[in-house]
Amino acid sequence: MFSEAFLQFLVLLGLIWTGLGALTLIILLIRDWKRGELW
Amino acid sequence: MTLAVSLTTGNAWSIVIGLGVLWVLLGVWWGRKARTSEGFMLAGRNVGISLGAATAMATWVTSNTTMVAPLLAYEKGVWGMLAYASASFGLLLFAPLAFRIRRLLPEGVTAGDFFRMRYGRIGWGVFLVITLVYSITWLVTMAIAGGKLLEALGDIPYAQGMTLILVVCVLYTLFGGLYAVIGTDFIQSLIILIGIVFIGAIVINDVDVPKVHEHLSREQPALLDVLMPAALLAIFNNMLFGFGEVMHNNVWWSRAFAMREKVAPKAFFLSGILWFPIPIAAGFIALAAGPLGVNVTDPSKVGPEVAEHALGLAGLGTFAGVIILIVLFCSMASSIDSLLAATSDLLVRDIYEGLFRQELDPRKFRPVAATSIIVVSLTAWALALSGWNVDQVLFSAGALVASLIWPIIAGLFWKRLNRALVITGIVSGCVVGLIFYFKVQTYTGALVGAAISMMFTLAARWIRPSELETPAA
Repeated sequence: MFSEAFLQFLVLLGLIWTGLGALTLIILLIRDWKRGELW
Repeated sequence: MTLAVSLTTGNAWSIVIGLGVLWVLLGVWWGRKARTSEGFMLAGRNVGISLGAATAMATWVTSNTTMVAPLLAYEKGVWGMLAYASASFGLLLFAPLAFRIRRLLPEGVTAGDFFRMRYGRIGWGVFLVITLVYSITWLVTMAIAGGKLLEALGDIPYAQGMTLILVVCVLYTLFGGLYAVIGTDFIQSLIILIGIVFIGAIVINDVDVPKVHEHLSREQPALLDVLMPAALLAIFNNMLFGFGEVMHNNVWWSRAFAMREKVAPKAFFLSGILWFPIPIAAGFIALAAGPLGVNVTDPSKVGPEVAEHALGLAGLGTFAGVIILIVLFCSMASSIDSLLAATSDLLVRDIYEGLFRQELDPRKFRPVAATSIIVVSLTAWALALSGWNVDQVLFSAGALVASLIWPIIAGLFWKRLNRALVITGIVSGCVVGLIFYFKVQTYTGALVGAAISMMFTLAARWIRPSELETPAA
């Protein structure tokens, strides 16, 4: 059976990872925009 | 049928029309750059990593991700979440293929160009049949999901809601081509990611993870079972379905052609990394159904039902429906627009130019492209209106798309192959995979299709192989 600690780790990882994904896209967008490399 | 959210029919119409007007205005604005066929179909082949990664990720986040991932978690527990997350491996694996695609087809426009060059007109024809059936079916499932969503959340009649969502996506794709699709995909991907994190955080605030674990181990211990056979089988089937879907579909090939050559592999890899945690975050929302005391009346809507309940507990009753509708609408629109653009590209490039051998001069391009988009959308609309059970067709198509995995990899990386044997393998994989899907177990369709075509493709490397065609220098 999956332990409580594993479930907690998995859920927090999923949420934090998803949030970091949004942040990564924003940072990359700003970088591409500054370099004139959006499209 | 409706969820108990505080979203009036008027509000639902206003949100979809408001977002629709925004997408269309942006589509018109970005569409000014789409003066040539390269601009309209491939966004000028100059897309950077931020827009490239976001569009690949957003396209793979469909209503299936936001609705079926919670359903899988609800029915198959922790392994259900992980099984759905494994679909991200398709995007990760496409990264090295994107590098090779750009090298092999520097002037390529569609996935059909690859099949025509490497496997001749028969292989190209087999590919077109598979991909058109699959793409239209996928599009129809999105339109149906959109109609059902508006009916459930805003009490908008199914036919009206489904038509509204399709019309919005058709309009901005018509005006802006791939520029509009990629630009709106970026905004939609941010809304999806932030929305899922926001709802997940609210759920954790209402009921912490130890309580969820305690409830599951007492009431539904199978959902925490480390060795749940059905879920383990689902992982492999989902993974192969994902590989076949991503590798063959022009939705991703057109993006590989649209990105700058060095950007394409990195963007696909990043999109897979960004996509992986979404089914886990969305799936957890469904696991909280029991501890939160949500009476799940329809498991296929468990995600929105729990989200609505949790947002209500957090005092967001008035906005619960608004938030859920916006996140789900974005997840559907980001796939519908991509399918409209990529499938109509196939009609223009492979059917109009390739099959009918019509010359496409710059003056004729926009009317032909617009006609293709309208034909694809009208076909999807008519099928979605008919009430035909397309889910069954889409899931069974796992056998078809999985049969294309090995021929695509081999065609990209090997110089010599027996073409007839590869094509025979694709057809055999489709037929045997479908038989297994319908007669043995649904989870075996993609596995068997991929295995059969793999055997034929490997044999094609050694039994009377001939030089494959490469682009003229």
